[in-house]
Amino acid sequence: MQNWLIMLLRAISMFVVTIPLIRLLGRGNLRNITPFKFVNYTIIALMIALISLGVVPNILHSIIVLGAWFALLLSLDYLSLKSKAIHDVINGKETIIMKDGKVMEANLKEVHFTGEDLLRELRSKNIFNLADVEFAVMESTGEINVMVKSDKKPLTAHDIQKKVAPKSEPQTVILDGNILDESLANRGLNRAWLKVELAKAGVSLDNVFIGQVDSSGDLYLDLFDDSVQISQPKVKELLYANIQQCHADLLSYALETDNKTAKEMYSKNADKLKTLINKLEPYLLN
Amino acid sequence: MTVGAKVKQTLATLKGVESTLRVYSLQSSNEDEKEVYRSALNTTKEVIKDLENRLKVLEYEEPQYKGN
Repeated sequence: MQNWLIMLLRAISMFVVTIPLIRLLGRGNLRNITPFKFVNYTIIALMIALISLGVVPNILHSIIVLGAWFALLLSLDYLSLKSKAIHDVINGKETIIMKDGKVMEANLKEVHFTGEDLLRELRSKNIFNLADVEFAVMESTGEINVMVKSDKKPLTAHDIQKKVAPKSEPQTVILDGNILDESLANRGLNRAWLKVELAKAGVSLDNVFIGQVDSSGDLYLDLFDDSVQISQPKVKELLYANIQQCHADLLSYALETDNKTAKEMYSKNADKLKTLINKLEPYLLN
Repeated sequence: MTVGAKVKQTLATLKGVESTLRVYSLQSSNEDEKEVYRSALNTTKEVIKDLENRLKVLEYEEPQYKGN
């Protein structure tokens, strides 16, 4: 057989072999990879390259070596899933770099990090002031994770003791002018509902780039033609305003009437609406 | 505007509120959210019932404005 044909066959067969092998290695993010795995992956990649280039004359030997590396890597992977000790030996443990707001210089030296590196990593996490850091740790992948002091943490609804409505994830029901039936069905909606909503907004389906249904079932539309102004759902604000108006009405009726039982009835219902308003506020105004 | 007519207007607004709440109680996907809308719907229904009863009395007292 001609030489070039052998090379071609080699390249193709190695390519085909590589695809399932890579799948076997699992699907971690390559950015968050431990040095141990990085070295392994590099060696395997080099081996595959060398084999397909024909640098190793005996194809059987090269396959055996490649298989051995793979088997070792996979078995170590498996063992590290089973045992924490093996996992720590192979992947290393996380190193605490800052504790109680103080830099642990010895640990920093251990992971070959300079003060400059630490500051750069903190800056990349939007922390420019070392004084804001309470605790920082370097993961076994080399990534730095920081806990800032509690008074520098972003404000949450819990901090200001404000009740917020629980929300489910929105469903994208229109993409590029096409209706996605599956996500519609996930929300228990159908095309007929969507048609009504589109008619309400006064747009045709072809003009919609993205349409999303939020947790409470309102449809948000983004159009291809950005010069068209569509009214985004304001139903909830309107609902809130209406309930408030009814509440005010009932209060004034209670003041106006001379009938005692009617007065009581009006103020009782006004109170009911008041509690209703308080309960609905996080849902309707957000 | 007579009291009866005003109460009727409030009643109409409340009925609108009721129907919107009903739509939300059906189309919300989150169970908690659904429950809040559902209980709000019940409260609104109670208020509507009370107002309707009051309206009957008012119409009896001012029959000349009935049906306005």
